[in-house]
Amino acid sequence: MKPPPFAYHAPTHLDEALALLERYGDDAKVLAGGQSLMPLLNFRLSYPSALIDINRVAELSYLRQENGQVCIGALTRQRTIEFSELARRQLPLLHEATTLVGHLPIRTRGTIGGSLAHADPAAEYPTVALVLDAELVLQGPGGRRSIPAEEFFVSYLTTALAPNEIVTEIRFSPAPRTSGWAFEEVARRHGDFALVGVAGVIDTEGEQCRTARLAAAGAGPTPIRLRAAEDILVREGVTEQGIQRAAAKAAELVEPDSDIHASADFRRHLTEVLTRRAIQRARERGQEQRA
Amino acid sequence: MSEPNERSQTITLRVNGTERRGQVEPRKLLVDFLREDLGLTGSHVGCEHGICGACTILVNGEAARSCLMLAVQANGAELMTVEGLAPQAGEPPALPGKTGQLHPLQAAFWEHHGLQCGFCTPGMLMTAYDLLQTNPMPSEAEIRAGLSAVLCRCTGYQGIVEAVQAAAETLRARRGDR
Amino acid sequence: MSSTEIGESVEELTPKFVGARVKRREDQRLLTGQGAYVDDHHPPGLLQAAFLRSPYAHARIARLDTSAALTRPGVVAVLTSKDLVPLVKPVRAASKMREYKETSFPPLAVEKVRYVGEALAVVIAESRYLAEDALEWINVEYDPLPTVANAPTAAQPDAPLLHDEAGSNILLSREFARGDVDAALASAAVRVRDRFRFRRHATVCMENRGCLADYPAGTGELTLRSATQCPGLLRDALADLLDMPEHRIRVVAADVGGGFGAKSSLYPEEIVLCAVARRLKRPVKWISDRQEDLKTSTQAWDEIVDAELGLQADGTIIGLRADVTTDIGAYSIYPWTATLEPIQTISFLSGPYRMPHYRGRNRGVATCKAPMGPYRGVGRPVTTFVLESLMDRAARLLALDPAELRLKNYIRADEFPYKTPAGLVWDQASLTECMQKARDVLDADTTTRWRAQARAAGRWVGIGFATYIELTGVGSAIPVSPGMPIATGTEAAFLRIDPAGTVTATFSVAPQGQGHETALAQVVADALGVAFDSVRVICGDTALAPQGTGTYASRSAVLAGGAAIRAGQTLKEKALKIAGHMMESNPANLDIRDGQVFLRDKPERGLPFRAVAKTAYAGLRRLPKDMEPGLEVTRFYDPFFGTASSATHVAVVEVDTETYAVTIKRYIVVEDCGRIINPLIVEGQVRGGVAQGIGAALYEEVVYDDAGQLLTGSLVDYLVPTASELLPIEVHHIETPSPTTLGGFRGMGEGGTIGAPAAIANAVSDALSHLGIEINEIPITPEKLFRLVRAAEGTP
Repeated sequence: MKPPPFAYHAPTHLDEALALLERYGDDAKVLAGGQSLMPLLNFRLSYPSALIDINRVAELSYLRQENGQVCIGALTRQRTIEFSELARRQLPLLHEATTLVGHLPIRTRGTIGGSLAHADPAAEYPTVALVLDAELVLQGPGGRRSIPAEEFFVSYLTTALAPNEIVTEIRFSPAPRTSGWAFEEVARRHGDFALVGVAGVIDTEGEQCRTARLAAAGAGPTPIRLRAAEDILVREGVTEQGIQRAAAKAAELVEPDSDIHASADFRRHLTEVLTRRAIQRARERGQEQRA
Repeated sequence: MSEPNERSQTITLRVNGTERRGQVEPRKLLVDFLREDLGLTGSHVGCEHGICGACTILVNGEAARSCLMLAVQANGAELMTVEGLAPQAGEPPALPGKTGQLHPLQAAFWEHHGLQCGFCTPGMLMTAYDLLQTNPMPSEAEIRAGLSAVLCRCTGYQGIVEAVQAAAETLRARRGDR
Repeated sequence: MSSTEIGESVEELTPKFVGARVKRREDQRLLTGQGAYVDDHHPPGLLQAAFLRSPYAHARIARLDTSAALTRPGVVAVLTSKDLVPLVKPVRAASKMREYKETSFPPLAVEKVRYVGEALAVVIAESRYLAEDALEWINVEYDPLPTVANAPTAAQPDAPLLHDEAGSNILLSREFARGDVDAALASAAVRVRDRFRFRRHATVCMENRGCLADYPAGTGELTLRSATQCPGLLRDALADLLDMPEHRIRVVAADVGGGFGAKSSLYPEEIVLCAVARRLKRPVKWISDRQEDLKTSTQAWDEIVDAELGLQADGTIIGLRADVTTDIGAYSIYPWTATLEPIQTISFLSGPYRMPHYRGRNRGVATCKAPMGPYRGVGRPVTTFVLESLMDRAARLLALDPAELRLKNYIRADEFPYKTPAGLVWDQASLTECMQKARDVLDADTTTRWRAQARAAGRWVGIGFATYIELTGVGSAIPVSPGMPIATGTEAAFLRIDPAGTVTATFSVAPQGQGHETALAQVVADALGVAFDSVRVICGDTALAPQGTGTYASRSAVLAGGAAIRAGQTLKEKALKIAGHMMESNPANLDIRDGQVFLRDKPERGLPFRAVAKTAYAGLRRLPKDMEPGLEVTRFYDPFFGTASSATHVAVVEVDTETYAVTIKRYIVVEDCGRIINPLIVEGQVRGGVAQGIGAALYEEVVYDDAGQLLTGSLVDYLVPTASELLPIEVHHIETPSPTTLGGFRGMGEGGTIGAPAAIANAVSDALSHLGIEINEIPITPEKLFRLVRAAEGTP
């Protein structure tokens, strides 16, 4: 199918984009990488009266270190993150998750801001943002505000972004150098959306677990932070039993749906399996980091 | 500030090294512009939702789905399509001694039976091109992962994987960095 | 029984190019973006079509008003079934089979719709974009009717009727039997039975269907370019439906992006576009989008099979009985009819084994789904899955090696030709040889030891075998679809040698990636004794080709190859007579090699072939007395029964004990497709076929919900395997020329897909044998294994 007609704007500055958004409100769609929006348009599942194409807003494309944080402009391509030495060094979890996003030709266009704003719960980036306690910077006509990832994802494909706001930046605080990370997922085919994915960052010393952060993708209407499972790890340590109990808890915390690819039961089961695998691999990586 | 416009816009871009202009409605997909307006029918339309990869081209040197871009978005861009891989390739049929102008990837696909119906082939070639420029010495698993961006229904991918392995070697030898 | 004529024996063909790994000459254009698929054609004045398709599975059309759509920008015409009635006859897929109920398949829905995606109207506009815009302005109201959701419920006497004219949703029933199977099974020492389920399958050619019709008033010739496997078949059908002389219709299939059976039927869109082009006198194109393709291209393999196999204590098979229910979808497709898949299941179910007692019954039941049509393997993938699965269960019960059990029961070399319970004749096959070689390649002892070690370490690994035998190159004795009134048993080759000595070979077969331009040129070059490069092959254009139908059912190498040999030999004979006249030698002492005519006993004496060709057109003065000038001929070939192809497949798999993902560790094919024309192409076909079989075994399933809505309408949900899901397929050949076909060729385009689901399912059952799990359904998804393992372990 072919897209329905729409007015098209390609602003070159953020202010211009925001003014257009203010003008059209809900009738407009912001076009970033287009890897989710364009299929919706092509299937005629979306009929915006205008597209505001922000691909020429150069000020939104950057990846830099600032005050100990890594700040990524919303228009930064997934491909740029994949080949960024800074991302690989400072945000290895984000880097690993990036290689799981679709395929390279998708990542050429797909942006970090677009992926977060689209808020597909099965996508990798929302879960990574959640588990790394990222801050999202949103800009609207009234100015900028910043919101933690945990408050950003509201429900299925729904975020705290107001209709006249644009995500402009994502800020990550790198985990301590001693911590390990892992993004484990199961998809039907290479490059597909995960049936379930689990992201973990843990900081261990022997069997002791100093901090643990865990989140699941594809297991509910939003990415889900697995705090009660984290608590078990910190309390019981990364012993076989601690890991097993944390994984079992994770399976209780998620709220998956059934679809043609997997039942809710199977997704719960996978959450348990992948949580355990993520903890184990993160722990191994943490040990390698220290060695 | 740009005015709302559903009507045609003029775009200028470079395709396979040549400057091209066109008048396009904003909603026109880049792949339709290439095929219908520029007559470059090598890039194929297989799904229009970014899964099959038959429309993959290089946008500013990087592989991308031309069914998930609007033609207006390519204004000012540098594109390469399958037609640009070996502009000097002779006309069919391939006669002995006249195929030296094929790109090493094309030559390897020919040698290793990396195509049957040929419909996915342009997207497969452009994806492999990008794969080898980002990873000149890929393992078989890396080739398979890279090529998983494009669906082929005929070959079972085996000839394609072998072709990409062979082309990687040719390209490395050509650069003298083996 | 052999239809090989005297003087045309296999030995007559001196292979030089046949058997060689010749690189394909199609590839140059396809690699450089110069292919000519339907959508690549943009004639001046082109219009584009978009179809309005039903969102309901079953509904009466209460209102259909196109007036608003007609006023939209760029719209040239909007047609519904009312407009088509004076332009085309309804399509009725006829069959002489008893108990088959013939029904109509209107190109645009009349009165009611019967599946989601059925076309009700077509908009013709200046662009596809504008045509789609206008679709939204067609006013349509539906009165929903109860959904006929699946075959078992549709077969109930009180089920809502899909076709009133049929009086039942059961459109056919058929039985094949031999001996007394009930008594045989009652006496069996061991019986194994189960209900097997093959889920509905989509073909997913990378090129969606599409066509372009043009009717320039001046010539009065209707040209249809279509992504079809069967240009000849379409031309004949369209002439009838449009009431036009056949010689005014030309159907062209140039480059076609995959077919696999889904492009071998006549489709509503082809008929509509021809009618529209004829009315508007302008070229009109329709290119399916992927969603339309998944909704409306023929689907396949939707079967429930209850089967029971009986064996003696020593493992000798004594009988098989099976009841099959096939979900044939909403319409009977032309020309194959709804009987195609159902009949072939019960025809092939007895497999490669001696089967003294047999009964196979099938019912084909109409439901609110896309029509069922041919797909690679037709009937054989499911029957191989059922029978080979029963064989493994029997082996487990009898504590026999599954390979040994098969070897014991294969039809033996001295039993060929073997008549099957369904009446097919296997001319010859290398069943034992394929299995023995497969075991050698596998290194069965080492692999069995590896399996034991892996299992001891807690891994779930398994080995699965599957053997099949299939009928290929089907001749006129057995129509491709039983009772069908069209001829599928013949093909022809038209050879023209021009005065310069180059050869044009034209065929009615029409490839979609099988490399006919290369393979048939190899056959022609050898038959004539000329250089490969001097032969050009043209396929897929009815204006140029001799009478024939197209490429389907693993027939092109056998039928077109046989016709090519005949035509080549006829022309060679004539050329030698001319050469003999020129050289004042007896033609019997002459031969042609490398484009040179020479004396057999004095090879240094001769003349170039092109000199002979030139003379052939020079007139009577230069020719032998009474010889007609020219070097052109059309020869037909009918292999009558057809010939058997066979193979053994071996899969080695591992199931992840936690995620239930199945990984194929090794995949081996040992096959016998007779004399191989081009190993490169054969291996490509086998590997590609196995890839589709792996897709069927592990990933692919068309899902309709209970309301008849298609849930797999995109490539996000219908899962075609990518390069990462597949592995190198090890292909080995046993090359036994067919004793019954010209050239000794056997068909082989479908075999890969036939063996793979069975081999993989058996390997998975083997991997899970410690849990007592037997796979009886494909695709084998992680979700299904999760449930099976839970049930086996007693976990809720």
